[in-house]
Amino acid sequence: MGWGGGGFGGAMPMASSQSNAANGLPFAGIPSELQEGVDKIVAAEPERTPSDLSFTMTPNNDERRRLTLGRLLLEHPGLMSWSAFLVVAVAVATQLGPALVALAINKGMSPGHLSFPVVAAASGAYLVTVVVGSLAQRSQVRASGRLASKVMHHLRIRVFTHLQRLGLDFYTDEKAGVVMTRMTSDVDNLQQLLQDGLSQFALQGLTMVVITVILFWMSPTLALLTVAIVVPPLFILSLWFHRASERGYEAVRDGIAGVLSDLSESLHGVRVVAAHNRQVHNTLHHRNVVGEYRDANVLTGRINAIYGPGSQAIGVIGQAVLLGVGGDMVLNHHLSLGALVAFFLYLGRFFQPIQLLVQQYNALQQSQSSIIKLRGLLETEPMVTDAPDAIDLPAVEGAITLHEVTFGYDATRPVLHDISLDIAAGETIALVGPTGGGKSTLAKLITRFYDPLAGEVAIDGHDLRSVHLDSLRRQLGVVPQEPFLFAGTIRQNLAYARPDASDAEIDDAVDRVGLSELIESLPQGLDTVVHERGQTLSAGERQLLALGRAFLAHPRVLVLDEATSSLDLRSETAVERALDALLEQRTAILIAHRLSTAERADRIVVIDGGRIIEIGTHDDLVAAEGRYADMFATWENAGSTPA
Amino acid sequence: MRATGVADRASSIYEPVGVSSRYRRPPSGVDPDATKKWTRRIWPLLRAHRIAFFGAIALSFVSLIFQVQVPYLLNQAIDKSLQHHTVPLHYYVTLVIILAVGGLITGFLARWLLFRTAYDFEFDLRNLIYEHLTAMSFSFYDRVQSGQLISRANSDIRSVQMYSTFAPLILVQCAIGVIAFIFMLSISVPLALIAMAVMPLLFWTGVRMRKVMFPISWVIQSRMADVATIVDENINGVRVVKSFAQERREINQLADASDSLSWAYIQDADLRARFTPIIQNLPQLGLVLVLLFGGAMVINGHLGVGAILAFNAYLLMLQAPFMMLGMLVMLGQRAAASADRIFEVLDERPDIVERPGAVDLENVDGRIRFEDVTFHYGENPPILEHLNLEVEPGETVAVVGRTGSGKSTLARLLLRFYDVDAGRIAIDGHDVRDLTLPSLRAQVGVVLDEPFLFSTTIGENIAYGRPGAARDEIIAAATAANAHGFITNLPDGYDTVVGERGYTLSGGQRQRIAIARTLLVNPPILVLDDATSAIDVHVEAEIHQALEHLLEGRTTVIIAHRLSTISLADRVVLLDDGAITATGTHVELLETCPAYAEVLAHVADLPSEAL
Repeated sequence: MGWGGGGFGGAMPMASSQSNAANGLPFAGIPSELQEGVDKIVAAEPERTPSDLSFTMTPNNDERRRLTLGRLLLEHPGLMSWSAFLVVAVAVATQLGPALVALAINKGMSPGHLSFPVVAAASGAYLVTVVVGSLAQRSQVRASGRLASKVMHHLRIRVFTHLQRLGLDFYTDEKAGVVMTRMTSDVDNLQQLLQDGLSQFALQGLTMVVITVILFWMSPTLALLTVAIVVPPLFILSLWFHRASERGYEAVRDGIAGVLSDLSESLHGVRVVAAHNRQVHNTLHHRNVVGEYRDANVLTGRINAIYGPGSQAIGVIGQAVLLGVGGDMVLNHHLSLGALVAFFLYLGRFFQPIQLLVQQYNALQQSQSSIIKLRGLLETEPMVTDAPDAIDLPAVEGAITLHEVTFGYDATRPVLHDISLDIAAGETIALVGPTGGGKSTLAKLITRFYDPLAGEVAIDGHDLRSVHLDSLRRQLGVVPQEPFLFAGTIRQNLAYARPDASDAEIDDAVDRVGLSELIESLPQGLDTVVHERGQTLSAGERQLLALGRAFLAHPRVLVLDEATSSLDLRSETAVERALDALLEQRTAILIAHRLSTAERADRIVVIDGGRIIEIGTHDDLVAAEGRYADMFATWENAGSTPA
Repeated sequence: MRATGVADRASSIYEPVGVSSRYRRPPSGVDPDATKKWTRRIWPLLRAHRIAFFGAIALSFVSLIFQVQVPYLLNQAIDKSLQHHTVPLHYYVTLVIILAVGGLITGFLARWLLFRTAYDFEFDLRNLIYEHLTAMSFSFYDRVQSGQLISRANSDIRSVQMYSTFAPLILVQCAIGVIAFIFMLSISVPLALIAMAVMPLLFWTGVRMRKVMFPISWVIQSRMADVATIVDENINGVRVVKSFAQERREINQLADASDSLSWAYIQDADLRARFTPIIQNLPQLGLVLVLLFGGAMVINGHLGVGAILAFNAYLLMLQAPFMMLGMLVMLGQRAAASADRIFEVLDERPDIVERPGAVDLENVDGRIRFEDVTFHYGENPPILEHLNLEVEPGETVAVVGRTGSGKSTLARLLLRFYDVDAGRIAIDGHDVRDLTLPSLRAQVGVVLDEPFLFSTTIGENIAYGRPGAARDEIIAAATAANAHGFITNLPDGYDTVVGERGYTLSGGQRQRIAIARTLLVNPPILVLDDATSAIDVHVEAEIHQALEHLLEGRTTVIIAHRLSTISLADRVVLLDDGAITATGTHVELLETCPAYAEVLAHVADLPSEAL
């Protein structure tokens, strides 16, 4: 994630990078040479009131509108037309200079027309165009910067809000990277386009038009010749350059990615490398990887080496032709000397617009494809939505009923068949069975991450589909198998579900799930910042945090997917104790991977092949000598004596 | 001259197999003298490419000389051919065309050579750093965050490369500025001085602009990263967000981050609005002055009209050097800071080095002795204190202890990932510090607790320690580690490429591949560091059957906390408070040592999927 550092929200990115530097680690934080400048900028930042947006599962009309570039621009019609006006002003004002030079030469400096007042007036007028052009340009950059900022801020929120509506089915592993790209590079593409790209495109196009018009007004013949000699070769060269260098840069990007990932693997796997004596081997391999990167660079270097001097040569040849043909016209009195000078001056001004137009055209195409991708995302319908007549779920007791539930992620291949199960309020149920048997899927239906294909899931008699999702989930607590920690402090992570929780409540939760010892051992206690998703904490500590988070949420129903990763004895005991605190007085569904956990449930449900095979208390099931009894016997054997 | 990096090792049995490099080694290292200025220290790298480098500079100079001639010729042509008819026009036209062609050829060659030098330089520097990093000890990696190291390796190398190779080019351009100025002076001294009046302003504005633009773009980058972090958390933590119905809070958090990003973008736009118009229009201002004063001089007959054209061209030509001079200052500052960080790495000396006269460990019996060993990590208190342990050749010993008791440290010391603070560790009577590192690590095989796999095929991962291994040897090792079954079920079998850092395989599968990787090396001494912790108990049992056969005649140290793993051992030792507190068979210890029973309690537990 670069050097940015997370921070709970973006409010204090600098704080976290500074804390890295404060740890005394080398290679961390802001590059030292920028520190002072960055401090100065951040010091000038005004206090902002925190955003207070609302969230509804159902998008409003504004959010349903089709995403197009035009609509984005027209969100702020005032700013938009002001920028457009300024672009025209800049294009005209900055191109009048050479024409004024021609005027001064013809009417003030030619034999028979010597006049200082004319020269002075022309110089004065030139000065005015320079000043007006500069001011217009200044306002234009400010205006389009503001336009881009506002539009993109709005769009970022719109896309992110839509992401929040999409269900778990959308967030498969393969899609994680794609979603990230939408919110980062696609949005950034558009930001660049609005901020700079579009106005540059318009400005350079207009500049070419203005220059061509002036040239034709001075001398149609010479204008035609100039345009014919300079524009086509330069366009062709620029197009070639952009195609070739794009391919080249792609190779360079692949190259550097290869270099960095090879380096990264060597660093992360450094113990394995050393243990297997691979240093020399890897050094040679790295040399090849870096070599490929070098070759890609040399290739783009060659493309650049052709383009720069090539376009320069076109310019000089253009000047030679102007001199030959235009000079001849001057000698034959078909053209004034001033006009010839103006042609020379304008010739140089053709180059930048052509080069930038080709460049911006590519950027324009990229942004267009970003818009199409973002539109696709915004038009993806969430699978689980609020029904139009959904009600808020009143405070529940926590009785859960599954009635003849059938479900499959792919409708043609059900993974749960005809499941019926009644869970009383306050009861603890353990789901056990082999991997892929349907335990986790069943839990996902109870939390309404998915809707059943057939049958009904109800809580206190309310079909889950008939209530607002957030009113349902506020009364549920879920502890996933891998505890997920957010960047931020331990306190913020604990209070995730209830940011308004009081210190007393947080202390109570810390106490009840057995986190006190950890918190006391940390110099900053609850305010210790969790780095890199909590990798600095042990697996057991992360789990306790996740349990504490659920505890503080006071859910009526708790769904807990037990972690499979092995914990050492002390953590194991701590987690079990926290679990006891958490299960008290609430309905709980445990997806149990260890039979010791299952043993503590009121009832055990054995699931295999998408069906409930056995159901009953631990003692009943052991007595019944069925599947569970077999599992328990094996477990006991393995546990008490060495196998 | 070579200061850093591993030498291409000579000892023949440890020669790399299966890879050769198409590219040459970096011909030179950096100057090891840390007291010198960074440019002096980096110079040997550049000197290795001196012919191309100086050739590039000389050719740039020639091509710029060609360029400078053109406006002068135009001025002459207007005066002599068009106004006074003393020289035929075609004479100048021909000259200009010759200059165009000459400029094209020299310009291309100059740049091409310069780019080559730049990228060869970068190639050398990257390889030097890599070689240096491979030689570093683990105490270094414990201190340094690899992520930071990578991002530095990326941007810092680039910035040093930019400065080292492009600074001379910029200086050449500035030299051309001087020549252009001389041409201007030769046309008219007063007008040249007037026209140049705006240039210092241009330079100053350029410097100021960069000074404020770089920090703001850094702020933007870091805020974009903040937005990305929130999105990333919401993708990976989507379950938590949805479970606790915190969508609204996340949206507001993103809105805040986006708000502060937008603010930074507006600051950026305002700064550009302040500087860009000035930089683009200052040369125009110069031309206004030229028109006014030059016009007056033309009227007085002191100057030809062509001079106005020539001055315009020269002003535009001077614009770039003046801007770049400012850039040079800034590039220099950045490169110096980057070089500091690079040398910070290159000047680190590895703690673990072979003694002069170190011998190869050969014909191993496998007697391991830890004699009075004391050790501590970094600033931490000692983790091992006066530890003594002897393992007989062919014996299998299990080390048991609670988390943090120093079990894994034993393995790391034995492989000499670290050196002991006091005492010694000997294999067959040889202090490990007297042995060559490759021979030591070839004879002592370890399966680490963290089964790191590389993003290459599974076959190559298993053959990691013996890249030349035949496929049937790989399969045999995989079979022994109970991995053959699941590997053949994968889409491409042994040719399946492991996903990003191995995460597409389950923890247990990764551990089995890691075991196969070590078994393939067939070391006489084997260390299993909690190597089966994520493997299902019944799969583990099968691995144990295979292992029991494989462990025969091999000295083995097993670090474990599962009962089932401990059962493989002939003898169990209990590690507590940095020393061995009890030793005996499992049954003996259970009876005589309450601390042992406590450590073992609850340790074994059977996943409910097991059947």
